[in-house]
Parts: sequence; structure tokens; C-alpha cells
Amino acid sequence: MSIVAGLLIFFALAVVFGLLLGYAAVRFKIEGNPLAELIDKKLPQTQCGQCGYPGCKPYAEALAKGEAEVNLCIPGGEPTMLEIAEILQVEPKPMDAEATAPKPRMVAVIDEDICIGCVLCIKACPVDAIVGTTKMMHTVIEKECTGCELCVPVCPVDCIDMVIEKTSLKNWKWPEPTVAAETQK
Amino acid sequence: MSTNSLRNRLIKLIAPLYPMAKRWLYHFHGGVFPQYNKSLSLRQPLRSGFMPKQLILPLQQHMGIPAVPCVQIGDRVKKYQLIAQADKGLSVPVHAPTSGTIIALDQRVLPHASGLAEPCIVIAPDGKDDALTNPLNLQQPPQTIAEFKQLLLNAGIVGMGGAGFPTFAKLPNQPGLVQHLIINGAECEPFITCDDVLMQTHADDIIRAALFIADLFAIPHVVCGIETNKPEAIKAMRQACQGSNIEVVEVATVYPMGGQKQLTQELVNIEIPTQKHSVDVGVVMMNVATLRAITQAIDLGQPLVSRFVTVSGMGLTQPFNIDALLGTPFNELVELAQPQPKLDYPLLMGGPMMGFAVAQNDVPVIKTTNCVLANPPQEMQDPMACIRCGECAEACPINLLPQQLYWHAKAHEFEKAEQLNLFDCIECGCCSFVCPSRIPLVQYYRHAKAEVRELKAQAALTEQAKQRHDARIARLEREKQEREAKMAAKKAAVKQQAEDAENTVKPNNEDNAPMSARDKAIQAAKARQQAIKTQAEQPVVDKRQAAMEAAKARIAAKKAAETTTEPTTRPGAEQTTTELTVEDKRKAAMEAAKARAAAKKATETTSEPTTRPDAEQTTTELTVEDKRKAAMEAAKARAAAKKQQDSSP
Repeated sequence: MSIVAGLLIFFALAVVFGLLLGYAAVRFKIEGNPLAELIDKKLPQTQCGQCGYPGCKPYAEALAKGEAEVNLCIPGGEPTMLEIAEILQVEPKPMDAEATAPKPRMVAVIDEDICIGCVLCIKACPVDAIVGTTKMMHTVIEKECTGCELCVPVCPVDCIDMVIEKTSLKNWKWPEPTVAAETQK
Repeated sequence: MSTNSLRNRLIKLIAPLYPMAKRWLYHFHGGVFPQYNKSLSLRQPLRSGFMPKQLILPLQQHMGIPAVPCVQIGDRVKKYQLIAQADKGLSVPVHAPTSGTIIALDQRVLPHASGLAEPCIVIAPDGKDDALTNPLNLQQPPQTIAEFKQLLLNAGIVGMGGAGFPTFAKLPNQPGLVQHLIINGAECEPFITCDDVLMQTHADDIIRAALFIADLFAIPHVVCGIETNKPEAIKAMRQACQGSNIEVVEVATVYPMGGQKQLTQELVNIEIPTQKHSVDVGVVMMNVATLRAITQAIDLGQPLVSRFVTVSGMGLTQPFNIDALLGTPFNELVELAQPQPKLDYPLLMGGPMMGFAVAQNDVPVIKTTNCVLANPPQEMQDPMACIRCGECAEACPINLLPQQLYWHAKAHEFEKAEQLNLFDCIECGCCSFVCPSRIPLVQYYRHAKAEVRELKAQAALTEQAKQRHDARIARLEREKQEREAKMAAKKAAVKQQAEDAENTVKPNNEDNAPMSARDKAIQAAKARQQAIKTQAEQPVVDKRQAAMEAAKARIAAKKAAETTTEPTTRPGAEQTTTELTVEDKRKAAMEAAKARAAAKKATETTSEPTTRPDAEQTTTELTVEDKRKAAMEAAKARAAAKKQQDSSP
């Protein structure tokens, strides 16, 4: 008799907890893939497509699914690769020789005298940072440009240059003391 | 009071035996006692009326956004004339310090730690010093807070103690929010005596401005803090305060007593919380020089065009204080003080604790220049390793953990440094001053702060790029759907058309209700056309011909529809690009590069304009230099293409 009572109690408990867990799974469901989100946060968001995926998020999703290598993000360079490897708990892979260090921030500049208004660069820009329309001069919104260089190869008249941002009072920063001492010598 | 003075005397007795006993004389933590050398510049009388060969006026002499010039090269300007307007936001205007001609508007090296060149207005004085009458167009002293703040802005007044924060921006918009107005006469940096001299000579002006502000903002408590090492200034200020309720308090001589947080703590015993401004806790502090500039604006309607500057240092035989015009080059001031040895080392702007070496000695005096210091360089000894003595933590006036901050900054663990309240550091340099290993601690903190700021800016940019990318993808998706919907509608229309062509007698089709108005109109037009044709030319319609006609009409309609919707929708191309595989993309890029290189080569060798009709104009206008550049570009493209070919066969 006592065995039946015990079984009943535990069965009832199992039902209760089962329902509770089932409800929690629906109520507190996490949207999207948290791993992909995490990786996406570490990517530089230049949306350059140099990894072979159309933007940073698709690459992050591919990484999360284990379909992509960790060393494909060229703008992020080695630091980003190491971060991704850490998140995914995989062995870091060496980067291509040219992409070991992150590049300085660059922006695209359109030579407005040469531009013919073909809108090819506008289509290529992943962040819609180029304004202009057919047969009208185009220009880059400097503060929106991510420096992905996608607009450079598509220009039929080669009027887009990548320039390193100029140092001004706004972005000047105190040098590191050790570096400063070495340059003085 | 008597117990207090007794205590002070006792501390002074102990001080020779235990120097740090002096720290019991004030309320904030830490602090250091450097060699002051203030008497150097006090030996000479105050100078004024020095007119340099040219005045260099940077558009940014303050914290915020640079002013916008409103004069041209060759313009003649009078003293006090507006030469650069305040931009929108946190910005103040610049005025001509004397009459003369604008001879240049170009980039000059600024008195800034970066040594960068920024836009400046250069005036060649004519020596007449012709002044505008009532340059600020002031009819009566300002009556309301809004008027007063506008006047401060128009007069170009900024905090002259060193930070250069526009004064109008730090005052509240309504009365009653401020409980304490503190007049900062502490001037704790070694060598500097310009505020001391100003208080001795213009105490009335300073007090008048303070009373005016106290009245306007209904501030109940006004207090002036002056360090004990300026007895003359204390006497003059006490005299000027007679009859008013302003209290002049002698504060201990310790560096950095003149810091805003320190003097506030000392005088009103309020510690300014982290990430907050003093006005949030009901305190407004003003430097004596700022107050004098305010008096000149409200009494005489004069903008800020000159300031007291200390010209001192161990390398000068006749150091002095001077009422210098803004824009006066440092080296001309230093020559007046007879430098010995010759001036072949960089001058310092500011005192030895917080000042910095300027990149060139001909940089101008700006609104925040309180001192030009000529200290011949001493042999620098290399910093040694940290011995963890903890002196820096003892000396820090903010009570931070300089040693921990140093380790984190050195190891580039900027987040950890930030968690240790890096941004509360006032960069006073006490830690570097006491460090027995001569580690430039404050430089590490400055660098770490800059890095943290950059990281934050970078994060903001990244977030922005992400949002824009997502928005773009959403837009492309939307356009694709719109296009598909349109195609479907068109297909339906075509079907209908075919049916119509079959039984031409039917003029209208009611059973097509879900079609859009435009499609209906197009269809109606087509039907009409069809009807006309069938009536006029061929009564008996060949089925095939009719279909062809219909197709033509459709194409025309489609074209018309496309041109009208061009700016919003671009069919075809986008879809294909997004659907391209990686392989295709790379191939396409290679193809494009090859084509470009070929085109360039062709234009170069034959210089025939036919090869590149778009670039015709530019090619013919190319100089030799450009051609060489183009050739190099082409070569690079070729090489890249080849490389790619090799790497992905």
C-alpha cells in the first residue's frame, strides 16, 4: 500500500515539475542563437564580406554552427580570431600573413571630379554610407563608413581611395609612456 | 579659531621632523609639497602694453567645438572686433586683441600637448590699437540669467584656470540651484603667480563679478579660497570684501589645493561624486581670472582679448607677470625676460606639475595659458621598476590606487583600470612626483583614458554599422518582396490580356477586382490601343500579330513603370549580387580588376579616348604625375589578379 502511495506521490511530483519545466521553456524562450550573438558582438561589423559571408552576422551564425573557420575575419585580425576561438572552445588558427594586425581606421573617399554617377558603389556599400543617384556625383558619409573597401573594386573609373583618418584634436590621444620614450631616443 | 591656530602652529613645529605632518592641515587626502619658486616672478612689476609682431589666434582655445572665422585675409579689424563666431553647441567666439590686418588664415601649431597644427587667424597689428566702442552692444548690465549667459558667450569667456570650459555652459538656467559660489584663488602650481598678481591689482573687479553672479543666481554662500603663501593677495581681497558677505579663507599651501574637487572639499566640505559635475551638488567654482573677465564684460562690454600670464622659469634672469594679448607668441614673451642660457629647449605651458612641453616655441598665448615656463632641460634618468612602496597611493588627492592603475594601464587591461575609477583621476601628477622609481605614472593614466575613450567610440561605431547593415538587409528584402508582388500582378495582367485578345469584343473585365488601380489603368490603355488597331487597320485580327503587339505594349508599360519607381526600387542587379556565391564573387572581382587594368593599359599606351569614353575628360587632363600613378595602380591590380588566380586554381 505504502509503495503505491509513494509511487503516486512521485508521479504527481513528476507531472507538476514536467508542466513547470514545459511552461518555463515556452515562457522564457531565448530568441535566436546566443552563441552567434556573442560572436557577432566580437566581430568588427565592417560588413566587408572578406570572410566569404555576406556580412558579419552570417559569418557569426556560420561559426556558431561550426561551418566556418575561425580565422576568416581580415579586418578583425588576430585579436578577433583569438576571441572567437575562445568563445567556440577551439584551437586558434593562424591568420593569413597580411592580416595579423588590425589595420588603422580607414575611410573611403570619392574623387568627385572623376565620379560618373554609375551607382555601382552605392549597391556595393553594406552600410548604405554612400549617397548619390544615377548620373549624379556620389559622396561617402565619412562617419558611417566602416572602411570595408567593397566599393573600391566595383568603381569603373577608379575614383575611390581609402584614406587613413587624419589626426586632429578630436582623435589625438596621449602616447603610451614606453613608446614615447623609445621614439625620443 | 584659537585652538585651530594653535594646532596649525604645532603642526608647523613637527613639520621639520616629519614633513608629512603638513597633510593634517587640510581636509582632502594626499597632496604634495613641491618647491614653489613663486618669488621669482614676483620680483618684477606687472608689465603690460607689449605688442608682438603678429598675433596668432587659434579657433579653438576652449573645450568643445572650434569657432568659425568670419573675416577674410586682407581685412582690417579693430580691437575687440569679432573675428570668429561661436559654432553651434559648446563653442565660444574669438575677438581681435588689437587693431590690424588679417594676414593669414591657416594651420599653426597649437599650445597643446599633441603639438598638432590647427586653423588659426593671424593678425599683423598696426600699432594704433583702435578699439570699437561698446563692442558687445551692451546697453545695460544683464538683468536675467538668459541675458547674462548670452553675454558670457558673446564675450568668449571660458574657464581661465586651465580647463577652458565655456563659462556660460557651466552655469544653471535658473536661480536657486547653487548654494555655494567658490572663488578659486588657490593657484597651487609652482612658479605661477598670475592669479596672485591679479588679486593684488584687481580685487575689486573679482569681487564685483562674484557679487553679481551671487545676486543673479540667488547664491547664499560666497567664499574665496587663497593659499597661505599669498599674504598680499589675501590682504587685498579681504579689503575688497569689506561690507559684503564674501568670506576670504586662507587655505593650506599644498599641491593640488587649486583643483576643483580639492578646493570644494576644503571650503564647503562637499566631495563631488564620481561622474558628476560640481553644479550637480550645488557648487559653482570660478577662477579669479574668469571673474575679472566677466566684470570687464558686464561693466565695459568688452570681450576677452587679454589675460595675465606668468613668464618664469629657472632659465630666465628677469621673470615677470604680464597682461598679455591673446595670440602673443611664447618666444617673444620669453625674450623679454632675458633667457640665460639661450632658448634652445622647448618651453612649457602651465606649471611644472601639470604643464606640457610645446612642440614649437612660437605657439601663442591662448585663453587658458596661465604660465610660460622656461626650465632648461635636466638630465632625465630612465624610470626604474616599481618597488611597490605605496607612496603614490599616499599622495593621490582623489584617494585612488595609482599602483593598481599603473599595472593595468601598462598591461593594457583598460577595462580593469576603468573599474578602479580611472576617470576620476584629475591628472595632477602627484603620483609621478613622489615616485622614487621616477615612473611617469600620470602619463600611463592619460594614455589609458584615451584608449578607453577610443574603445568606447569604436564600440559605438560598430553598433551603428551593425544597425545600418541590418536596416539595409531589411530594405533589400522589402524591395525583393515588392518586386515579386509586382511581377505576380503583372503576370496576372498578362494572362488577362491574352484572354482579352482572344475575345476582343469584351471591352472591360469586372472579374479582376484585386488588381491595383495602376495596373487597371495600364490594362485599360492597352485595351483601348488594341481596340483602335483592330478597328482601323485590320478588321480580322491575326491572333499571332495581336499577341506580339500586346507584348510590345507590355514592355513599354513596364519601362514606363520602372522609370517612375527608379529611385526606390532597383530590380535585378541587387538580387543577383546577394545571391552570388563566394566563388562567383571572387571571379567577378578578378574579372573587374583585369578589365580595369586592361583599360588603363590601353589608355596609356595608345592614349586613345575611344577605349574609355567615361573617363575621356580625365584622361586627357592627366598630368605626367597622374599617369605614373595610374600605371602603378594598374600594375598593382594585375599583380593582385595574378595572385588570386594562383591561389585559387
